[in-house]
Amino acid sequence: MCLAVPAKLIRQDGQQGIVDLHGNRLPVNTMMTPEAKPGDWILIHAGFAIERLNPEAARETFALLEEVDRTSGNSDYRPDAQQNTATPAVRGDMS
Amino acid sequence: MSSTHAFTDNLLQRLREAAAAIGQNVAFMEVCGTHTTSAFRCGLPSVLPPNVRLISGPGCPVCVTSQGDIDRLIDLGARRDVILCTYGDMLRVPGRHGNLENARVRGGRIEVVYSSMDAVKLAQKQPDREVVFAAVGFETTAPATAAAICEAQRLNIGNFSVLASHKRIIPAMRALLTDGEIPKIKGFLCPGHVSVIIGSEVYQSIVDQFGVSCVVGGFEPPQLLSALVCLIELVVNNKTALVNQYPEAVHARGNRWALTLLEKIFEPGAARWRGMGTIPDSGLILRSDYQSFDAARRFNLPEPQEREPAGCICGKVISGAALPGQCRLFGRACTPISPIGPCMVSSEGTCSAWFKYGKSNQRTIPPAHLNELLEVSS
Repeated sequence: MCLAVPAKLIRQDGQQGIVDLHGNRLPVNTMMTPEAKPGDWILIHAGFAIERLNPEAARETFALLEEVDRTSGNSDYRPDAQQNTATPAVRGDMS
Repeated sequence: MSSTHAFTDNLLQRLREAAAAIGQNVAFMEVCGTHTTSAFRCGLPSVLPPNVRLISGPGCPVCVTSQGDIDRLIDLGARRDVILCTYGDMLRVPGRHGNLENARVRGGRIEVVYSSMDAVKLAQKQPDREVVFAAVGFETTAPATAAAICEAQRLNIGNFSVLASHKRIIPAMRALLTDGEIPKIKGFLCPGHVSVIIGSEVYQSIVDQFGVSCVVGGFEPPQLLSALVCLIELVVNNKTALVNQYPEAVHARGNRWALTLLEKIFEPGAARWRGMGTIPDSGLILRSDYQSFDAARRFNLPEPQEREPAGCICGKVISGAALPGQCRLFGRACTPISPIGPCMVSSEGTCSAWFKYGKSNQRTIPPAHLNELLEVSS
């Protein structure tokens, strides 16, 4: 139940945001992460963003996860959160 | 060799070297259901050196919810004047009169929600029905309940309430350390996402008072392994310490916005735990200003009656005092298809993880050896 997943915030309107999670668009409440802005990686739990991931500390993790994903045939993790690249991770953008 | 493999191999090498340097049996405890399943899924138990044990503690919120609280929830869900909103984890937990799925079949309206806010929206759409949110979970989940109550108050929604049995992990860790029944552990693998909310520095009091290390860990295999290596190397160096091995998400003081929400709506209070009894300050009780949102008061629910399913030792499994394979029901009468205890129901339950990832091996371990696994030296 304490499962939380990292996702990229791609849109924000007040406390309502939209994240990209492995190509899916999900609504998220950002009231607990008011400092988060589009392009940031955030941890999602039960419809709420519970933390903005520190891009410096997360870089190594994302690099590892990307490699794990690539090995297993997925490709949605992008390590360089700081530069807000990662366009290939965003699929089916309706905006 | 890829960098991931090199990184993991390096951690495994350090794990083996540190375990060999200890020269004695040593046990650590994780207190997070997500750690339980992550560890089993990636095969961590199979690569642990024989003298290192990672024991699952009371980290699965569904599992630690007392039987009386579950019975009360299911009884409420069966009422025709109530829409009960719940996270999916609770649907199949057995109660005195079946589970929530059975209550739904009998005419109860049970809605599985993705977020607590969905329950508030439902209450807004259906003002003629009482909507109750089943608020279960540790500090990771409790702020979402607090946010829903704030929203219901802001929108002046009178038909929304919560049946709260939220838990706090630190008092449970303290209770475990003062209870002589569990194996002596050298350290905790602290729950990563609970720690996102409460921060890492709150574990320092446990390190200082009980002389056990606390290492906050993430959930991917390299993160889990890093945390475990850290715990073992602390033993090798004869140190106890608090270490945050999940710094990308966990800050020393946690998420202040979430903590402010919790503080506004809840206050610490005694809570009933399956297998561990009532632990002071281990629950989150609605503050007096918000007790109008308390479903127990609104529906005048009776005090829960505690009763364990016959033969079920989930209580001991949760507190680390027994392994699933020691239960007479495990894998026989109690399986994921027809669970008897909550540890088999929840996907994060220890019994479920044992069954799913290690059933064939674990069931063949003779009881005497299981005892040996638990009897680690201090």
